[in-house]
Amino acid sequence: MLHRISAAAAIAILLSLPYGSTNASELRVGFTLDALTLDPANHRNRQTETILRNIYDGLLTRDAKMKVVPELAESWTQVDPLTYDFRIRQGVKFHDGSAMTADDIVFTFERLTKDGAMGGQTSPRKDLVGPVESITKVDDNTVRFKLKEPWPILPAMLPVQEVVSKAFTEKVGSQGLATQTNGNGPFKLVEWRKGDAIILERFEDYYGGSPDIAPVGKACVDRVIFRIIPENASRVAALLAGEADIIAELPPYDMKKVEANANTKVMKVNGTRSFFVALNNAKKPFDDPRVRRAANMAVNKALIIDKILLGTAVPLNGVLSPDAFGFNPDLPEYAFDVEAGKALLAEAGYPNGLDVTLDTEGAYKDMAEAVAAMLTKVGIRTKVAVGEGSTIRAKWAPAGEKKGDMYFNSWGNGSLDPADIFVPTLRTGDRGNTAFYSNKEVDALLDAANVELDQTKRADLYKKAQVLVNKDAPWIFLWLPQDIYGVSKRVTGWEPSADSRINLHDACVK
Amino acid sequence: MKPLALLGRTLQLVPVLLGVSVIVFVMMMLTPGDPVEIMLADQQATPQQVETMRHDMGLDRPALERFGVFLGNALTGNFGLSFFHRRPVFDVIAERLPATIELTLAALLLSLIIAIPLGVIAAIKKNSLIDRMAAVGSLFGISLPGFWFGIILIILFAVHLKILPVAGRMDFACEVPPITYLLTIDSLLRGRPDCFSNALSHLILPAFTLALPMAAVLTRVQRTAMIEVLRSDYITFAEAKGLSRRRILWRHALKNALVPTVTVAAIETGSLLGGNMVVETVFGWPGLGRLVVESIFVRNYPLVQAAVLFYAVTYVLLNFVADILYTVLNPRVKL
Repeated sequence: MLHRISAAAAIAILLSLPYGSTNASELRVGFTLDALTLDPANHRNRQTETILRNIYDGLLTRDAKMKVVPELAESWTQVDPLTYDFRIRQGVKFHDGSAMTADDIVFTFERLTKDGAMGGQTSPRKDLVGPVESITKVDDNTVRFKLKEPWPILPAMLPVQEVVSKAFTEKVGSQGLATQTNGNGPFKLVEWRKGDAIILERFEDYYGGSPDIAPVGKACVDRVIFRIIPENASRVAALLAGEADIIAELPPYDMKKVEANANTKVMKVNGTRSFFVALNNAKKPFDDPRVRRAANMAVNKALIIDKILLGTAVPLNGVLSPDAFGFNPDLPEYAFDVEAGKALLAEAGYPNGLDVTLDTEGAYKDMAEAVAAMLTKVGIRTKVAVGEGSTIRAKWAPAGEKKGDMYFNSWGNGSLDPADIFVPTLRTGDRGNTAFYSNKEVDALLDAANVELDQTKRADLYKKAQVLVNKDAPWIFLWLPQDIYGVSKRVTGWEPSADSRINLHDACVK
Repeated sequence: MKPLALLGRTLQLVPVLLGVSVIVFVMMMLTPGDPVEIMLADQQATPQQVETMRHDMGLDRPALERFGVFLGNALTGNFGLSFFHRRPVFDVIAERLPATIELTLAALLLSLIIAIPLGVIAAIKKNSLIDRMAAVGSLFGISLPGFWFGIILIILFAVHLKILPVAGRMDFACEVPPITYLLTIDSLLRGRPDCFSNALSHLILPAFTLALPMAAVLTRVQRTAMIEVLRSDYITFAEAKGLSRRRILWRHALKNALVPTVTVAAIETGSLLGGNMVVETVFGWPGLGRLVVESIFVRNYPLVQAAVLFYAVTYVLLNFVADILYTVLNPRVKL
């Protein structure tokens, strides 16, 4: 009996020992997925990018308003449509104390753009720097990018390319760079516990980050820990239990719970993925713009956003996020109006309505069914067909048979630049043009914007194109989901950003 | 056991493992969805890049050739490059394996600690309240979805009572240089009792969630075996000799009644590996199970193939061990 009591006592003592040391300046992020690699050039993964973003800096970055600003570069100039010059900031140090030079930048981009430059492998990020033909050192302070064709999106794509140390990479090799780092960002790697946590600490010799983003200086917290908790309910529990200070991808149905907790709050920001229903513009019945407009009038977006997405999305009247470059805020809205929709259908020659099929992937079934029910009320009797992602994508390939009716679809726009979403989805025959939409005027505007050096003029071209697309209604314009974060009230100075990257340089903890 | 029988039994493993590898390979091939497209889904790639990547992965080669390469490499422990991590599959799996082994061993130990005494007591006090409660508890344990149960435990012990952590293996404050890579053992070996309790506190909830269904099965097995043994002649004989009841029960009866429990436990340990996938996901446990789940979602062929092959080998080996244990514990049984 006695030893049973002592065993129970031992367990009780064990359980009462503190399991977590609470350090005042330790910030813990509850994250969905571990980094796949720590080599900035060897992945195509958003979670990896977010973690690397705190270890490495890029030539350019974005401020909270998504404006592209210099980071490791001091400034940049576009010499002509095919040439960009970047002035390199002086006094930037890598985590091992060595100085960053123009050679490191040339090396980084050669690794990204040359075939087999990563120990025989070719960077999977190669086409994220698109038509970059060469990068050369002009002098110690300047590097020059030469393009094969005009690509005004280059500055917008540079924030996601981190600069590595030439000497370090040559020392450890591309294999070594997968697990070791010598960054130039606000935090340096302490330990990577694979699948569990990535532990970072403040880099004391940090140059301070982009001068355009206040405050400039060292990071605020001593330590940052990315803790990998893939399961939603557990991640929320970690926040509520005080084990995590910021959690990514808070499920909408848990927002109330987080708000109800005295120590936590919900923070939202517009995401980068536009949702729409691509209508087959190439065949009946959606070859008629009146039918397409009727479909737009049938869908009560506000209701779906409110009831299914629990208010975590913004309605769209066009292709672009409100945070994107060149967004046109003055596009007319297709107001929800069943009667007007019916009238328009009758005018188009369908007084008794019509029957169509809406293709969707399993994940979007709920939303697609809601859309279908609304369309049916107007007389566009819609059947939802759930299919497997790649099968549907094959069916809707722009070069394919063009046999479908409607496709519940989305397109991500990480750069928040129209060149990355508007062109591929709506230019005649382009790779993501699942609506098979073709308007010569729109094509001309997009092509002109592609070589326009003056950013104001370029934005105007996109604004005009948005008006045309809005009128043509090749899609049912749906919404842009927001990114939702659960945040402890002990965190200050941090804002979620619309490019989904969690930047912890300015975050402090009370 | 005779060496020849052992050899024969070992040779049986070969066709089983070959069959498993064929099934794994074919199933991955038949799954709809192009791995390259899924990998690049985040940032819509150009067709040219898709082609390059497909070539890099060898996906443009005929299936039979790919299978041959896969099999040949597997024999030498080379499972190729994990598409996603862009590192050797072997390394990626090796990093995650210790966490899974630690969790599995803890769950195995825990379920034996629960099941053996409970089964014995239920058998001795057949049809009593304790026996009935054990029966109901077993049914409960078998039918509870581990996923749901794990979340309930988290909400109770981590969110409300705040006595156990939600997820992970050990806190940052503990840095224990690896010896066995099992954190509880390593922290003891390194003389860090604080880290031991830290690692143990992380281990308790997932291990318990994983152990529960197994404990439920084993309790039933233990109870039945014990009842059977208690009915046998030698127990009656021992009682007649005047040995104390306690000695009879725990020395003579239990020793024989453990045979089925141990063999079932060995086999069930194989299925623990499957349960790991769920439990590791819920508790953010950095093990192989979670890695496999993530890899299935992104069609990371080489990794899934290697991991499933590993599971199959483990399962087959555990069955093998169970058979041997059976013959050792019960000499009347021959292979």
